[in-house]
Amino acid sequence: MYIPEYYEFCCRVNMVAGHDALEKIPELLVSMGASNPMVLTDKGVRAAGLVDILITAMADKLCIKTIEDEVPPDSDLKVVNRLAGVYREKGCDAIIAIGGGSVLDTAKGINILVSENSDDLLQFTGAGALKRKLKPLIAIPTTAGTGSEVTIAAVIADHEKNRKMIFGSYFLLPDVAIIDSRMTLTLPVHITAATAMDAMAHAVESFVMLSKNPLSDAHATEAIGLICRHLPRVIQDPQDKEGRLALATAATLAGIAFSNATVGMVHALGHSVGSVCHVPHGTCMAILLPYGLEYNCHKVEERIADLLLPLAGADLYTRTPQKDRAAAAIACIRQLNRDLNQSTGGAHAVCFKDIKDREGNLSVPENSLPQIAQTALGDGTLFYNPEDMDYDDCLRVLQAAWEGIPLNTRTSKESQR
Amino acid sequence: METFVEIKPGRKPLQRIYLGTMLWFVGRAIQAAARVDNQVKKEFQSMPPNYTFSLGAFPNGPYMVVGKNDRGKATYLGGDLSKQPVDLEMTLKSMEHLFVLFTFRESTPTANSRDRMIVNGDVPQACAAVRILDIVQVYLLPKFIARLAIKRYPKWSLKRHTLDRTLILIRTLIGI
Repeated sequence: MYIPEYYEFCCRVNMVAGHDALEKIPELLVSMGASNPMVLTDKGVRAAGLVDILITAMADKLCIKTIEDEVPPDSDLKVVNRLAGVYREKGCDAIIAIGGGSVLDTAKGINILVSENSDDLLQFTGAGALKRKLKPLIAIPTTAGTGSEVTIAAVIADHEKNRKMIFGSYFLLPDVAIIDSRMTLTLPVHITAATAMDAMAHAVESFVMLSKNPLSDAHATEAIGLICRHLPRVIQDPQDKEGRLALATAATLAGIAFSNATVGMVHALGHSVGSVCHVPHGTCMAILLPYGLEYNCHKVEERIADLLLPLAGADLYTRTPQKDRAAAAIACIRQLNRDLNQSTGGAHAVCFKDIKDREGNLSVPENSLPQIAQTALGDGTLFYNPEDMDYDDCLRVLQAAWEGIPLNTRTSKESQR
Repeated sequence: METFVEIKPGRKPLQRIYLGTMLWFVGRAIQAAARVDNQVKKEFQSMPPNYTFSLGAFPNGPYMVVGKNDRGKATYLGGDLSKQPVDLEMTLKSMEHLFVLFTFRESTPTANSRDRMIVNGDVPQACAAVRILDIVQVYLLPKFIARLAIKRYPKWSLKRHTLDRTLILIRTLIGI
């Protein structure tokens, strides 16, 4: 086990998980001195009936002051300002955020404004600008992937000025994260696959990056094992409650791991594909993950080899000679992607050229790769990647991931002269 | 109310002199590299006009500040943070951490991954600034030391390794 000379690890979120974890919310709010929550969600989550499940679970034990579902897919400064006004006007004293990353980031933005009694979110950007505890925030993730219920960051876009504001503080961690299997039970299989691979990318990258530490490793390996054991079963039987809960737990474990060990080039490239071509994040992660491992393999081969145990189990791990374990671990992830592709009827893409929009056009045209590579160079996650990356390296990896062919690892080693 | 006296870290004059000299040298080398090396020029071009960035130790320095003026020229602006607004601050959490970094016992990526550095400013510009620092370290340091400081020693042309390096060293010493 790798023990760095120095590391930090923190996760202050109270986790409540189960098949009926939502029912615990009134009691939790009372323990935090709140009783008039604002429920924040988006239209998709509301249309899927998940807010109704929450309301039913609350029964008459809680008075929900307002339900706001105007959160856009990309969190927005104007929406944060408007909803902070609604929070004050209705006399709310807590937020229950039910949804994905955008809903939670919006909730964090609102919480900053109402707790600091401010109208200017800009003065709280960056790391460490918040100095005190915010008002109670309960996060209920509805996809088993992002892990945003346990992350210290929030990204809010100012669409008027065309920029993204990043907030980072331990005070942005939700007070409670509710992991309830009912929240992901209706998730379509291809989204289940993509979001689970997002969690897998969090766990795998946190295990091989420069900031890894024994505590993040423990969370990461457990998350990888849970995903490998339960994802194929859930894809076969989406109503598998145990499997759904296991995947949601894995996503949270992976979220804790990457919050404390960060991610690397898979996320740098994935963020850029998402921002240039608007491809879902989980899909990018699933495609790029084996390439990220191949690219870094000559630097962190031992760490990648260790991944074989949670990925494939003790049998294959012990049967595989040490020198072949890293390659076998990468092959496992590729095979998982291929299996998911088959079991979702091709909806889970294994390379970028397979992703098409509704009209059948390529979502990631080959001529967009240079722009994606250039954008990736400005992504902070590259700091934590074991191997350096320049424009040509980014382009080489993207080209291989576009075509769906393994990366030429000799080129990576040769550049390390 | 009782007044508490703020406890300041030890001064460590020799360490401060060493780090001050290193930062002065690196700052002037960045200015020189921006005039000689195309890659550094390109990185500065990607920054907005009048953009400034600093590298130093919390809480009392030493620091170096480098900026790009409105004509697009990169300039070493000295070691005083209060003389101009700084857009991007890269600050090691203590002078000791900066010393470990500048004695090449820990690389910049390792320092960053061990949470020794606070980066305050736009992330894309921070990435550009780190790339500039990496290139300058390759110019200034012998290969066996530079390899300790950066993730990957680059494959450069002979001209870059010899002529450009000599030019940058001369310009750094003269300050042009």
